[in-house]
Amino acid sequence: MNEELIISGRMNPYIDPHLEVWEWQIPLYLFLGGLAAGLLFFAAYFVMTGKEKKYPTTVKYGPIVAFIAISIGLVALLLDLKHPLYFWQLYTTIRIDSPMSWGAWVLLIITFVSLIWIFSYLKEAFPKYNCKIGFIHNLLGIFIVKNDDETWEWKYSWLDTFEKYAQSNRYAWAWVMAVLSVILGVYTGILLSAFNARPLWNTAILGPLFLTSGFSTGAAMLMIMTKNHEERLSYSRIDLFLIVIELFFITHLFMGFLASSQVKVEAAHYFLGGEFTVTFWVNVIILGLVLPAVLEALELLKYKIPVIIPGLLILWGGIMFRFIMVEAGQIIRYLY
Amino acid sequence: MEEIKVQQHTPRKYMNPYLAGVLLGLVILFSFYLTREGLGASGAFKRGVAKVEQIIIPAHVNSEKSAFYHYVKNGEDPLKNRLVYMIIGVFIGGFLSGAINHRLKLKLEHSPKITSKTRAIAAVIGGAIFGIGSAFGRGCTSGAGLDGMAVLATSGFVVVGMIFGVGYLVAWFFRKLWI
Repeated sequence: MNEELIISGRMNPYIDPHLEVWEWQIPLYLFLGGLAAGLLFFAAYFVMTGKEKKYPTTVKYGPIVAFIAISIGLVALLLDLKHPLYFWQLYTTIRIDSPMSWGAWVLLIITFVSLIWIFSYLKEAFPKYNCKIGFIHNLLGIFIVKNDDETWEWKYSWLDTFEKYAQSNRYAWAWVMAVLSVILGVYTGILLSAFNARPLWNTAILGPLFLTSGFSTGAAMLMIMTKNHEERLSYSRIDLFLIVIELFFITHLFMGFLASSQVKVEAAHYFLGGEFTVTFWVNVIILGLVLPAVLEALELLKYKIPVIIPGLLILWGGIMFRFIMVEAGQIIRYLY
Repeated sequence: MEEIKVQQHTPRKYMNPYLAGVLLGLVILFSFYLTREGLGASGAFKRGVAKVEQIIIPAHVNSEKSAFYHYVKNGEDPLKNRLVYMIIGVFIGGFLSGAINHRLKLKLEHSPKITSKTRAIAAVIGGAIFGIGSAFGRGCTSGAGLDGMAVLATSGFVVVGMIFGVGYLVAWFFRKLWI
């Protein structure tokens, strides 16, 4: 028989706060949420400024990718829950002081708004009805009628009415979507920074930092998606600008930690010589920010750069940033 | 928005090989100064293999009989090593050099007398033999050869002598792959 001598209450399991429970689901969701926020913001912004003709991919196809990203992110969130079937309980209350309540409601509303947006552009995005997959063909056949020239119409008049309504109010919807996408982008950071027992997360700069990073990944995704040369170049410019802001925020994140209490100084040292130094600096700073910035600057200087490389690097940096922040945030704590 | 068009440039010539050799020597010097160790290419790939083994068949790589045991003992991550990051740097540097000199193009270089397929097959076989050789020799051209010579180790001179000597001897048999 093994005998154990209990000399302190802290030797009992679960006496110390036990929060190392977030695995891949939360960082993946934070990444996809930020990406969707970026995609939806750019779509809304270019409609608000009357430039939708110059940015066709952004306005018509970006929100579709955003919707898919949000859907995958929500599945990841559900998988993280201990009781997935109780998710609806988040919608029985509105709590202004809870980031999770903000997030749950914003996600719900922005999903519907993005669906309305996609619906209003559906005929422009997919003018021809030539789906080869039988199952989807039959499914779509419930709602639409094919014309002789392969264009299509809605089968029911109420869908036509709704489409006209959505199209004639695009400018208003753009405003709603722009505001919601900023809230969504900031919320992915605020979700972490609201944990006051986690020194690495408990900083107000995390909201703007995650927002910028989300917009940057959104711009990178659009840069990869678009076939329009002008659109691609303007996203190179936008991304370069966002990367500079992100580097500025990251610098200030660490400056803030180093000027703060001892536990935050120690949190910063995990990244400045400690356990996460190489992973963070190589994946996030060098591969995810500096290298794509150099490549985009070269592209603007008229060198030929395959757009997929800086685009994928930015997406890689974005996803690694969230994985490292969530992982490190759970390891760095007050009690040892 | 003003129109910016990517101009078509002819690829620039490669650097003078003697100058590049001197620069490579300075890279080794700089590596010793910064990390107290030299360069190495095969180490990163061996560590990559060790990582794959660690995921798929951990029992094999964790046994003391494994050649990769020293990469993973004490629960270490085999990829957390400067050689792995050096290889990432090699890709970045090569890519930037290609971009700046207008050489960025996906292509397979080979003799006009052989097909791309022959070249690819020959390269895979050659690479595999080189990999086996570097495992036996405990290092490749850079790790065992260049670093060894840089610290005036006898093994370094032997390795380089053997690589070039044997290469010279067998080149005649494989000449048709190149000329």
